[in-house]
Amino acid sequence: MASFILRKAEPKDVSDILRLIKELAKFEEMEDQVILTEKDLLEDGFGDHPFYHCIVADVPKQHQSADSHVIIGFAMYYFTYDPWIGKLLYLEDFYVMKEFRGFGIGSEILKKLSQMAVRTRCSSMHFIVAEWNKPSIDFYKRRGASDLSLEEGWRLFKIDKQNLLKMTNEE
Amino acid sequence: MEFTIRAATLEDCKDISRMILSRCELAEYEKVSDQVKIAQRDLEQDGFSKNPFFHGIIAEVPEHLKSKEGHTKVGYSLYFYTYSSWKGRAVYMEDLYVMPEFRGKCIGKALMSKVSQLGLAAGCTQLNFTVLDWNKSSLDFYLKLGCWDVTSDLGYHCMRCEGDVLEHLAQGDL
Repeated sequence: MASFILRKAEPKDVSDILRLIKELAKFEEMEDQVILTEKDLLEDGFGDHPFYHCIVADVPKQHQSADSHVIIGFAMYYFTYDPWIGKLLYLEDFYVMKEFRGFGIGSEILKKLSQMAVRTRCSSMHFIVAEWNKPSIDFYKRRGASDLSLEEGWRLFKIDKQNLLKMTNEE
Repeated sequence: MEFTIRAATLEDCKDISRMILSRCELAEYEKVSDQVKIAQRDLEQDGFSKNPFFHGIIAEVPEHLKSKEGHTKVGYSLYFYTYSSWKGRAVYMEDLYVMPEFRGKCIGKALMSKVSQLGLAAGCTQLNFTVLDWNKSSLDFYLKLGCWDVTSDLGYHCMRCEGDVLEHLAQGDL
């Protein structure tokens, strides 16, 4: 498979972005956790103050997937901040459809993200990986990523909406 | 104890910077300057320009309750909006800090509650943050509030590519 392009996602891509999000969630056995809709993605990614940015991998029609898709990979990211070191790029999701792996598409996406991070003066790129996801961990470790949870003891915590409401109502 | 929680302004960056540095000192890093690269002017630029990278809230006490060194700004939280590809809008609490002499008076909880309110008002369905695994008092505090430990429960590890690693990635080196 010869050619693909990486480009900034456009509003017309939200249907494909959601499809790929669900495919990745299915691989992580979390498909039922995805409650995001195309409408959310449109409103949150393409308004005046986007909550996220997206790059998509686009192949020519003659190389489309078995189920006729030309958007075959994506990365969703946004900018975060560490008050000790400044701006960071946070990689929320990163996925290439199985039949398109092994062609360097993932590497190119990561390269493009890193270039953007450097260009926007981010000190670092952060993301999370499930500890059981050995192929991903190897992919990132080969590229020099450090595991902050293992090396420095960082644990990610979450409070859901129900408990947030409880906390605000108690004040 | 009497205190107020309010949005941070440009003028607060001096105190925020002060508290960031004392936090670093408290963590007993030998060389604070090796760890903290961000100065007051960076906070001003990054937090108070047209497209801020973070937002801040400040906990302030009245003059008669000021700290031993004369500070009335005694705590802060820095937060920003993120996005979950599963659930949409989220808020991330990057820093939550109360000066040691003002702890145990619910100021931390009030700061966190304010971040939660602001997040809910912005349409967020979750609040995320990280805690160090040796920080037992913080872990207990958060677990009691109904938080859950995603790293422990789902095995999600926080990863980083920084400095030379980021540069090599940008150049396409493996």
